[in-house]
Amino acid sequence: MSTVVSCKHVNKIYRQGLIEVRALTDINLDIEAGDFICLSGPSGSGKSTLLNMIGGLDSPTSGEIIVDGQRVDQMNKSALAELRLHKIGFVFQAYNLIPVLTARENVEMVMQMQGDSKDYRKQHSLAILREVGLEGMEDRKPSELSGGQQQRVAVARAIVDKPCLVLADEPTANLDSVNADNLLKLMRDMAEQHEMTFIISTHDPLVMQRAKRLIKLHDGQIVENNKQN
Amino acid sequence: MNYMGSLLFSLAWRNLWRNRRRTLVILFAIVLGVWAMIFTAAFMRGMSQQVLEDTINNLTGHIQIHASQYLDDPVIDHRFQLLDEALFESLNNPQIKQISSRLRVPAVIASERESTGLIMVGIDPENESGISFLEDSIVEGRYLTDPGDSGIIIGRKLAERLETRLGKRIVLMSQDKDNKITDRGFRIVGLFDTQLEALEKGFVFTGLETSEELLGIKGEVSEISILLYDINQVDVIAAELQQQNPQLDVKTWSQLEPVSKLIVDLYENFHLIWHLIVFLAMGFGIVNTLLMSVFERTREFGLFQSLGLKPGFIMGQVWVESVLLLSIGLLAGNLFAWLSVLATGEGIDVSAFAQGMELAHLSNIIPFVIISKDLILANSVVIILGMLTSLYPAWHASRLVPADAITRV
Amino acid sequence: MHKLQFMLIKLFVLCLLSTQAIAADARQLIKDAIDHFRGLSSYSEASMIIHRPDWQRSMDMKIWTRGLDKSLVRITAPKKDMGNGSLLLGDDMWSYTPKINKVIKIPSSMSHQSWMGSDFSNNDVARADDLIDNYTHTILEQREEKGITIYVIESVPHDDAPVVWGKEILTVRDDHVLLEHKFYDQDGILVKQLVTREIKFISGRNLATIERMQKVDADDEWTEFRLHHIQFDADISNTTFTLSNLRNPRF
Repeated sequence: MSTVVSCKHVNKIYRQGLIEVRALTDINLDIEAGDFICLSGPSGSGKSTLLNMIGGLDSPTSGEIIVDGQRVDQMNKSALAELRLHKIGFVFQAYNLIPVLTARENVEMVMQMQGDSKDYRKQHSLAILREVGLEGMEDRKPSELSGGQQQRVAVARAIVDKPCLVLADEPTANLDSVNADNLLKLMRDMAEQHEMTFIISTHDPLVMQRAKRLIKLHDGQIVENNKQN
Repeated sequence: MNYMGSLLFSLAWRNLWRNRRRTLVILFAIVLGVWAMIFTAAFMRGMSQQVLEDTINNLTGHIQIHASQYLDDPVIDHRFQLLDEALFESLNNPQIKQISSRLRVPAVIASERESTGLIMVGIDPENESGISFLEDSIVEGRYLTDPGDSGIIIGRKLAERLETRLGKRIVLMSQDKDNKITDRGFRIVGLFDTQLEALEKGFVFTGLETSEELLGIKGEVSEISILLYDINQVDVIAAELQQQNPQLDVKTWSQLEPVSKLIVDLYENFHLIWHLIVFLAMGFGIVNTLLMSVFERTREFGLFQSLGLKPGFIMGQVWVESVLLLSIGLLAGNLFAWLSVLATGEGIDVSAFAQGMELAHLSNIIPFVIISKDLILANSVVIILGMLTSLYPAWHASRLVPADAITRV
Repeated sequence: MHKLQFMLIKLFVLCLLSTQAIAADARQLIKDAIDHFRGLSSYSEASMIIHRPDWQRSMDMKIWTRGLDKSLVRITAPKKDMGNGSLLLGDDMWSYTPKINKVIKIPSSMSHQSWMGSDFSNNDVARADDLIDNYTHTILEQREEKGITIYVIESVPHDDAPVVWGKEILTVRDDHVLLEHKFYDQDGILVKQLVTREIKFISGRNLATIERMQKVDADDEWTEFRLHHIQFDADISNTTFTLSNLRNPRF
C-alpha cells in the first residue's frame, strides 16, 4: 500500500499578540491509501489544525506535509486549489453546502469545475445521491434538508469525483446518534467501495469505534496511534 | 471556460435574490441615481441646446463677417462691399447652407410719446428667412416682402413701450455715411415676439434697400451672417473664409457670443461632474451593501476555497453579482428617465424665473432632450465606475483565508 | 365737340390752379409765420418759465438767429445756469455747460428729449423748418375776427416724413402771428399744444410775446416762452454761430 499523507516534524505556532500558542508539536505521521482514520482528542488538542494543514487550508510553521507525493506546505494558493479540487474532498461540521444551490447542484458544482460533461454530471450526481440515500431529494435546497441529509450531500459531494483523500472535520457533531451512525456507516462503505482514504476528526466515541485506526492528540502531540478491528 | 461562466452567472444571480429586501433597496438607489443622472442630463442638454439655438437664431448665425473694426464700433463707417469678387468666390462653398447680408446700425426710434435707442437692421427678407428668428416670430401683421420694402417690423414689447401699434408710423433716426443725421418715417407692418426681451426691445427690421437709401449707401453691408449645414465645421470654414478675405473680420458664433459658448461648455462639462457626484453617493451604497453580503457569506467563500475553487472564481462571483445589480439598475433607470422625459412633453415652463433665466441666455420653456451621447456618458460612468468599485468587495471576498473563513461561524 | 373739349380743359386747368393756389397758400402761410418770427436775422431777449405742480423755475436768455438754420441761445439767469448755451447749425445741435467747460454735440438719440428741462424737445427747437416740406397742408377754416383773418391749417406729414405726429393743426393770423399749434397722435388724439397768450406790437410788427407749450395729459405742467425784446435784421457777426463762440462767449 502506498502512502497518501505524510507529515514530518510538523509544528504549528499561532501568534496572538505577544503570546505564542503551540497548536502542534513535532507531528510525524504516515497514512496509507484506503485507510479510515479517526483523529480524536479533546477540544484544542490540534485535530482541526492538523486536518486543515493536510488539506492545505492552513500552513505549518515548520515541517513537511506531503499529500499524494506533493509538498503541500510549499504550494501557492492556486496550486492548493487545484490539489483540493482533484485530490481532496472535504466534509465539515456544518454549513457544508452552498445555500443557493440544490443538493444536486452542490454535487455537480465540483464536477463542473473539473470540466465533466453535462450528461456525465447528471448521471453521476444522481447516482451518488441515490447511493447516500437521498433519492427524490435531489432538487431540494440545503435549507429544505435535515442536518443529516445535508451531511450526506456533503459526503456525496466530497467523494463524487473520487479523490484519494477525504477530510472530515467533526462531521457528526450536529447529528443525533442514529443519524451520526448512519453517516459513519455511509462513509465507511464509500471508503471501501471507492477505495478512498478518510481522515475524520472527532471526539465522538461512536466514530472512534468505527475507525480502522485511531490517532489521539493531546496538547498538539500524538499520544496514541493504533490500528483497531 | 463556458461551464465556469454559466456557474458564475447562476451563482451570482441566485445570490442576488438571496436577500431580496436588501437587493431591492440598493437597486432602488441605483435606479434613482441613474434616473437623476439621465433626467438632469436631459434638462441640461435641453438648456444648452436652447442657449445654442437662441444664440444662432438671434441674428448670430454660425459665422459672421464684418468690416475689420465693426465689432469694436458697430457704426455705419465700418461697412464693406458686398459684391467683392473674392468674397463672392469664397462664399460659394458647398458647406454653406445659407447667407444673409445686413445693414446693421445704431438708431433712435420715436413715436408720438416715447423714443429710445436701438439697432436698425436692413435685411433681404428672402435670404434672412430661416437664418434668424424673425420670420417665425411675427405675431401681428406681416414679414417683409422684398429688399425695397419700406415697412418696418418692431418687437411687441417695443411697441408697448412706444405706445404705438401695427399700422402706425414711427420715426427712425440714424447717421448716414457722412455722419449726418438722417431720419424718416416708417409704417409698422409687423410685430415680432421673442422670448428674449432684450431682442424685442433692441432691434427693428426694414428692407435692405430702404435702409441703404436712408443711410445713403449702395451695395455695401455691415454684416454677413452664415449658416452651415454642420455646425461642427464652423471653425474650419471660418478659418478658410478669414484666409480668403484677410481684410474682413470673420468670427464664429462662439467668438461672437462667448457667454453662450461658456454656458454651453459649462453644461457639457457639468454632465460628467454631476454624474460623478451622483455615482459617488451610489457607489458608497453599492460597496457597502456588497461588503455586508460578503461578510455574511464568509463561511461560504471559505467553503468554495476548500472545494478547490480559486480565489479568482470567488472574486468573479461577487463581481458578476454586482455587475448584474448595476445592469438591472441601469436598465430600469434608463427606462424611468425616458418615461419622465416623455411625461414632460414640450418641456417645463420656467417663466416664473424668467428674469434670471434671461440673464443666463435662456428662454421660458426648457425642453428635456435626451441624446445618445449623454446616455452613453451616464451609462458608462455607472457601469465602468461601478465595475471598478465592485472590485473592492470582490477582492475582499477572495482574500479570506480558508481556515479562518471556515472556522468562523 | 372741339369747343366742349376746350371748355373742359380750361375748367380743369382752372381747378388745378385754384387748388394749387389754396395749397400754396396754406404752405405759404406757415412759411410766413415761421419767417415772421425769425426774420432774416434777429437778436432777442426772452425768458422761459418751466412750471410743474410742485415747483417752477424761470430762465432768462439771449437769442441770436440768422436765416432758418443758424441760432445761438445763451442763458443769462439764474446764476447757476448762467453761461449755458445751445448752438444750432442746420440739423446739428451743440450745447455748452460752463460748469464742466465742455461742448457736447447733442446726439441724434437725444433729439426727442427735453430741451433744457422744458416741455420743448430738442427737435421742437431745432427742426421748426421741417414743418414746411414734409407735410401736406390744407386750410380747414378761415374766419374774420376784429378785422383780422384767421386761418386754421391742417398739416399731415408724408408717410416717410421724419415726424411722429399724425397731424398738426396750426392757427395763424393773416399778419403771420401763430395763435395755436396743436400736435395730434396718429389716432387723432391731441398730445400737446402751443398756445399764444399775449400778442404785442414790437419792433415794427405784431408778435406773439407769450407762448405756452403744454402736454394734454399733464394738467399743471407747462413751459412758457416770454419775449421781452427783439431786434430784427440786427447786425450779427459771422463768428457768432461758431463752436468757439459757444464755448467762449463774446456776446
